[in-house]
Amino acid sequence: MESAHNINVDMSVRIGALELRNPVMTGSGTFAAGREYAEFMDLGRLGAVVTKGVSLNPWAGNASPRIAETASGMLNSIGLQNPGVESFCANDLAWLAEQDVPVIVNVSGHSLAEYVAVTERLDAEDAIDALELNISCPNVDEGGMAFGTSCAAAADVTRAVRAATGKTLIVKLSPNVTDIAEIARSVEAEGADAVSLINTLLGMAIDTDTWRPKLARTVGGLSGPAIKPVAVRMVWQVASAVSVPVVGMGGIMNAEDAVEFMLAGATAVAVGTGNFVDPATTMHVVDGLERYCRERGIDRVSALTGALKR
Amino acid sequence: MSCASTHEDGHRLLERVTVVANDRVTEGVGLIVLESPRVARAVRPGQFVHLRISTGTDFILRRPFSIHRAEEDRLHILYQVLGTGTRALAEKRRGEEMDVIGPLGHGWEIPEGTAHALLVAGGLGAAPMGMLAEQLSACGVAVTVAQGAPTAERLVGQGVFEATARRVLTATDDGSAGEHGFVTGLVEGALATDRPDVVYVCGPEAMARIVTAQAAAADVPCQVSLERLMACGIGACLSCVVTTTDGQRRACVDGPVFDAAHVVWDVSEIPPKH
Repeated sequence: MESAHNINVDMSVRIGALELRNPVMTGSGTFAAGREYAEFMDLGRLGAVVTKGVSLNPWAGNASPRIAETASGMLNSIGLQNPGVESFCANDLAWLAEQDVPVIVNVSGHSLAEYVAVTERLDAEDAIDALELNISCPNVDEGGMAFGTSCAAAADVTRAVRAATGKTLIVKLSPNVTDIAEIARSVEAEGADAVSLINTLLGMAIDTDTWRPKLARTVGGLSGPAIKPVAVRMVWQVASAVSVPVVGMGGIMNAEDAVEFMLAGATAVAVGTGNFVDPATTMHVVDGLERYCRERGIDRVSALTGALKR
Repeated sequence: MSCASTHEDGHRLLERVTVVANDRVTEGVGLIVLESPRVARAVRPGQFVHLRISTGTDFILRRPFSIHRAEEDRLHILYQVLGTGTRALAEKRRGEEMDVIGPLGHGWEIPEGTAHALLVAGGLGAAPMGMLAEQLSACGVAVTVAQGAPTAERLVGQGVFEATARRVLTATDDGSAGEHGFVTGLVEGALATDRPDVVYVCGPEAMARIVTAQAAAADVPCQVSLERLMACGIGACLSCVVTTTDGQRRACVDGPVFDAAHVVWDVSEIPPKH
């Protein structure tokens, strides 16, 4: 006799043209290109690896201190330090291509032309399954979040990048806006296959001994469990406003957190800061999600998406 | 066996550990001993572990601690009580469990042909030097330790130095032990008298910077262990970068021990309390 506890749960989800074996990805910038984590977990059991942001030329990043711990989270102002797209393809991507996991590369830029140039370069790489357009980094002076905080700018960069690639295009949205659903609709209208949210919330912390900011850059992006309620709310708003899939993230530490995001409307989820706390957090989320479904007799994880009761 | 070591990255582990002892050493300093068989047998001098002190959500990040000594299955960690994490660490009692990631980082190197080494420790800079002194001594290297602290009571790690070093020189800010003044005042004399083949330094960055210059002036290679705020500890997040003549390097994997001549000193990188 079949009981609810031994059903097989279909964990697969779909983002654009991309079929994922499960909905659990990594948050860009918390996982490098995966190699550092391979000693602690099986990359092949992830839905996808989302790499750190890649720009056309190498970026040095910001001055130190680059992080500050805050209640139930952290601030960072790394500043998209990366070796540039050529080095990324030759080293990180070459390694990642040998792993049995879909690859999503986060695309960064200072200008519209740079976003397009990086996209064109990455579009030529067969090992890349999808691109995530980063218009939401709060830690760079030019570009980054500036493209993600007005509908017109977000639409312009999405349109230009859309024209430069046939790969699945995910646009990563900033929470530092008045109406995130409006931005989501703008990028959907320009051909985004999916949206991911939230990037970090702009924040600040001050050392009361020195009266100086704790970050060299003064302000930085807040992440971790502290931001989860804001993120869940925004995923719910965006999922209600667009018809493309939503990748939800912001403070996911365990499977129950991931379930919340899916019930709010996320098709897939990403673990970011949680990777720092335990390098195997993603594996615990994958296993926990499957167990959650099995114990409740849910035979496919995608049934959770948007199943919020009101 | 050759004692020269040029550091090869070992396998990194996530290990469940048990507190064996956790005692106050002096004002604001504790020594915690952890039963951690796999890490303790793999760790080399100058490496560190990334300790998950709390599984709650009040504070979530791990804390990096250098290994003072490794004794069979046990790790000895000297720590300064500075902030939220180390205050919680000081509350840990015998039998409590935590998890560590380790051994991590690039530790001290012993150059081929080293016959005499000078170890310079300021305050808690003694923490990563216990294992080093033991290894050097076991390899027949003559060890001189120059150690400084605010007061006599805060000269920590003296047990292992007395047991392994040929000479232990001390300086205190208040003159309560050894020379009255900074440890840097002992270094030039030790460089001239002992003619060491290598200098190892760890302590406040202002002090490490002076010792680096003193070693360079005497034409002696110098290695420095640096502290940075870290998130992941395994090389992914780029929080702990150190500016070097070779560009930005990560303290967690390229360090914490660096060739001091390559460090571009910048006081703004000194971490605040954590």
